[in-house]
Amino acid sequence: MTVIQVPRLRRGSNRPGNEKRRQRTLVLVLAVISLFTVAPLIAVAVLALSPEDAPTLPYALPPSLTLDNIIRIFNVGEFPLWLWNSFLYSAVSVVVVLLTASMAAYALARKRFPGRNALLWAIIATMMVPVQATLIPTFILISKMGGVNTLWGLILPTLANAQAIFLIRQFVRDMPEELFDAARIDGAGEWRTFWQVVLPLIRPVLATLAIFVFLWHWNDLLWPLVVGQSDAARTLTVGLATLNTETASTSNVMAATLVSFIPCLVIFAVLQKHIVASITHSGVKG
Amino acid sequence: MSVSTSPRTAPARKPAAAVPPPKPRQARRREALAGILFILPTLVIFGLFKFLPILGAGAMSMTEYSLNGDFEFLGADNYTRLAADPNFWQSLRVTFLYVVIFVPFIIAVSLAGAVLLDKLVRFTGAFRALLFIPYLSSFVMAGIIWTWIFSTDGPLNAALGGLGLGPVPFTSGPQLMVLVSLAVVSVWKGFGYSMLIFLAGLKAQPAEVHEAARIDGAGAWKSFWYVTLPLLKPVLFFVLVIETIVGFQVFDTIYVMTGGGPARASHSLIYFLFDEGFKFFDFGYASAIGVVLFVIVLILSLIQQRFFEGKDSK
Repeated sequence: MTVIQVPRLRRGSNRPGNEKRRQRTLVLVLAVISLFTVAPLIAVAVLALSPEDAPTLPYALPPSLTLDNIIRIFNVGEFPLWLWNSFLYSAVSVVVVLLTASMAAYALARKRFPGRNALLWAIIATMMVPVQATLIPTFILISKMGGVNTLWGLILPTLANAQAIFLIRQFVRDMPEELFDAARIDGAGEWRTFWQVVLPLIRPVLATLAIFVFLWHWNDLLWPLVVGQSDAARTLTVGLATLNTETASTSNVMAATLVSFIPCLVIFAVLQKHIVASITHSGVKG
Repeated sequence: MSVSTSPRTAPARKPAAAVPPPKPRQARRREALAGILFILPTLVIFGLFKFLPILGAGAMSMTEYSLNGDFEFLGADNYTRLAADPNFWQSLRVTFLYVVIFVPFIIAVSLAGAVLLDKLVRFTGAFRALLFIPYLSSFVMAGIIWTWIFSTDGPLNAALGGLGLGPVPFTSGPQLMVLVSLAVVSVWKGFGYSMLIFLAGLKAQPAEVHEAARIDGAGAWKSFWYVTLPLLKPVLFFVLVIETIVGFQVFDTIYVMTGGGPARASHSLIYFLFDEGFKFFDFGYASAIGVVLFVIVLILSLIQQRFFEGKDSK
């Protein structure tokens, strides 16, 4: 959505000199606040790229920058495995959540079947239950299924995403009935109607959800911490937290932190408009 | 992902087909079958990993449950034990204190950011991005960065040292200092989200109202206090509830930065649950803590819903 900037009439705006000065002050204040938000991130980058034994922040600027730390964490220890686990945890969840939630949303919005309203109500009601409240029973269940320290045990319980169903359902519900009549007349079966009519039309909301489901999984700590206690299923967040409490060197920890942030930064750079629009319109919480 | 009710939901549309023509029984049956098949994967996933654990949490909270699967029914014993456990009350106190610090703090920062961005004419996109970027990081990452910033050899203490002060034990000092430090980290990481919600609320305010206030001779501060803020009330309330729920769930930063310490000074409710469950493997007791958390969040969600339903029906 494009927002057209209409310059509003403000106090003193009839004197352009005043307004100009005010805008300059505003930019200055915002620049200072930006320093507060961005400086810690820049510090991570500088620390991650500082040579290991050279003097660096906060007492001095490093004499040169190097990729040595980053190359080292990829070659020593289990960091690449954690990265891969985090990637699978996020990517598999995005694909499965989007597919199953779209199917469910289609059924809940467009099909009449016994128990539909009760089920919809039950799914929405689960949004009120914080994940931490069901942490213990979910862990017991996964451990009974033999899923502790496995990737499937890590991923499976996070696939139930009520918010995704809720959001997609609103879109599918608002589609005109004629669309489905036309598909029926053209002889499209149920699956084809879903795949070729519904899915293409809900692409914007799927894109938004993909971003948030990805970020949520990529940044998640508590569940991976509980279920992925060995390296086989340890994610980046859990690995970083352990690195930080162990006596790993600052340059190693910061290099790992920097690498873990890059995918989020790339997603933001590419899809900034989507992220901003979805927060302001639907209150999606990542 | 937690709350969904937005203060600015899309206007309700009329149902596409008001009265569908009656369908023959066979077609109805096929429709029902298709619906069930489409919802089946979700039904299985939700049944196993949402509905079952929710029931399980209630059931387990009334048992003594051990790692090998043996359990003993205790009735309400876990809850009476909670009521008598000083560690539980300590964690509740810590959590409430944290919420009282964190919520006004994050609301003030995100509102200030939104108001400034709203008044800005140029570079809006750039500054919005710069202010929002920390929201993309994980609480773990935020915790790692700020552990360094707060540490004895970190930039803050280096600066204080230059003034001949410190070192200040930001994350290991008195409780209030530790909780404020933790709140700073969460505000830094989280305020971008609420800021965007506030910004949307500000953009939705009609310019005429502000103009009228200006003509009546209201200055910038008066206009903000008597016009902007009252109009923003629903949004403010929405953010208040969301951030309160976020505050009650504080865990990641504590795990990374203080480990619940020093001496349980930052031992929050979730940290207590985590300890009882995965340090002492007292699963029944930990489930009871989870139920308490659920009740707190439920009350907050109900207040939120009641408020918004009241608004909509006007």
